[in-house]
Amino acid sequence: MIEGRKILGSIGLGILTIFVIVAVFAPYIAPHDPHQMYRPMEHPSSSHLLGTNDIGNDILSEIVYGTRVSLFIAFVVSVISMLVGTSLGLVAGYFDKVGFLIMRVVDVVLTIPRLPLIIVIASFIRPSIWNLIALFLIFGWTMPARIIRSEVLTLRRRYYIDATKMIGGSDFYILWRHILPNVIPLVVVQFIMEAIHVILAESGLCFLGLGDPVAMSWGMVFHYAFECPIIYVSDVWMWWMLPPGLCIVFTVLGLTFVGYALEETFNPKLKNPFGGMER
Amino acid sequence: MHQISKLAYYFVIVLIILSINFSLPRAMPGDALSYLTDPGADIPVRMTEEKREILLAYYGLDKPLSEQYITYMVGIIRGDLGWSIYYSAPVLEVILGRLKWTLILVGTSTAIYITLGILLGATSAWARGRKRDMGLLISIISISSFPSFFLGILLAIIFGIKLDIFPISGAQTAFATYSSPLEEIFDILHHLVLPAATLVLSHIGGTYFLMRNSMLGVLGEDYIMTARAKGLSERYILHKHALTNALLPIVTMTAMTVGFMIMGTIFVETVFAYPGIGNLLYNAVSYNDYPLLQGIFLFLTIAIVGANFIADMIYIRLDPRVNHE
Repeated sequence: MIEGRKILGSIGLGILTIFVIVAVFAPYIAPHDPHQMYRPMEHPSSSHLLGTNDIGNDILSEIVYGTRVSLFIAFVVSVISMLVGTSLGLVAGYFDKVGFLIMRVVDVVLTIPRLPLIIVIASFIRPSIWNLIALFLIFGWTMPARIIRSEVLTLRRRYYIDATKMIGGSDFYILWRHILPNVIPLVVVQFIMEAIHVILAESGLCFLGLGDPVAMSWGMVFHYAFECPIIYVSDVWMWWMLPPGLCIVFTVLGLTFVGYALEETFNPKLKNPFGGMER
Repeated sequence: MHQISKLAYYFVIVLIILSINFSLPRAMPGDALSYLTDPGADIPVRMTEEKREILLAYYGLDKPLSEQYITYMVGIIRGDLGWSIYYSAPVLEVILGRLKWTLILVGTSTAIYITLGILLGATSAWARGRKRDMGLLISIISISSFPSFFLGILLAIIFGIKLDIFPISGAQTAFATYSSPLEEIFDILHHLVLPAATLVLSHIGGTYFLMRNSMLGVLGEDYIMTARAKGLSERYILHKHALTNALLPIVTMTAMTVGFMIMGTIFVETVFAYPGIGNLLYNAVSYNDYPLLQGIFLFLTIAIVGANFIADMIYIRLDPRVNHE
């Protein structure tokens, strides 16, 4: 079954690479300026491969630029969440008193249902990419903090930690040189989980009309397609709704595959959703 | 002892949620009337300073925050969630009017997806590593990658429009008159199929993976080997030994997943215009009906936190080891 892991991991990595390339080189890949207006509601043709939307924007170009927005939000949120979550997790696992306080905050934030709170706050504040990122960050750091902490709790009982203490290693030195490298694999897996969550949650908020109307992410393209009254009664959905939807699906799928492959590589004993495949 | 501290914990959570709900509109820039008087508003209202003060006093917004907070809390305890601007009715009344449909939807979907998840998870674990297992695994990972609204729309287009076998909006045929109650039930079920199917498909992953994992763990236990050594039939081992033991974690998880289900209804009810609370939330967002929005937020979060609380309690009952953590 080792082979299965490698194959899935490579497929996932391949999908993600394509999307990242599209995001980075969007201006060179997009056939048109996404803000340029052409004749609205045109069917796919050689000049507009996915047709145009209700205000005449080229849909393919919108989706290409949308890749940037969607991936950017997921990336920024996941990176900051992991930085904050890992630091707090390390501190919480190593120092008992501070750890107790941090974990109570984590408990509370994790118990409050994420989605309803994000929806209600998002509808009060003006939706913009940065506001969305800030909203996701409120919750993003908690899960890594909790997981890293429980790992640190076991790591710090190891003999080599005691040995380092005896030869006079400071707490910071131990955390930085001996504990952090050991939790990095967990952080990477958490990073992927958070990215999956943000991609799905952001598209969900956009679908409800709470996305940034200026920065067209995949979710926003989808939202405007859903709002269009003739979307069901004609074939328009095939080039306006299906492509951004599939982009979301494939990104999540790619991330899931990579996450699975990494998790199996780092820790074959770990109980992941695919656990036990190697038995 | 443990149960009491849990109770206190959940009490604190509810207090925090109520406080967030109280402070959100007050933390926004400007005061309660600025959305009316703002020159950028749809229809800006001109107001003298005197008039402003009268209005603020009428709504009790001139009092100190602590006093407003107490009034708010007393109101919540009395079941007063405010007045919906769009529906022009008490928020609680509007929510309760929609509750029935959400309960029907969440109830049926939960029953189906838990059963299906258990069956598929057990099948997968039993055939681990073989084609059937891999097939199930890959299909369920793929289905779980779909945002629920996208899945719903695809189902609506395929089964509602192309094949035209299921209705795609509402919970009943509009303006229908039924000749018998049986006909009405059939109509309701007919409308329920697609939204329920969407919820089931987008949530089945959790139960499936949990059951598969749990079952794989059980299959590695010594008593399974003993049963095999005794010469019991594979079918007997599956039903009597493996399945019953592997089910334990599912029982405790069910209450927890109801919370996810409630969140899922927000999207699914919106796609299918199903007249439940999730769709109401979408309407509240689109019409900027803030009192209604906050009421639903409070209602949903407390329902979800309540479900988690029940899950915690069941867990303590079923597994005494949790007490001595």
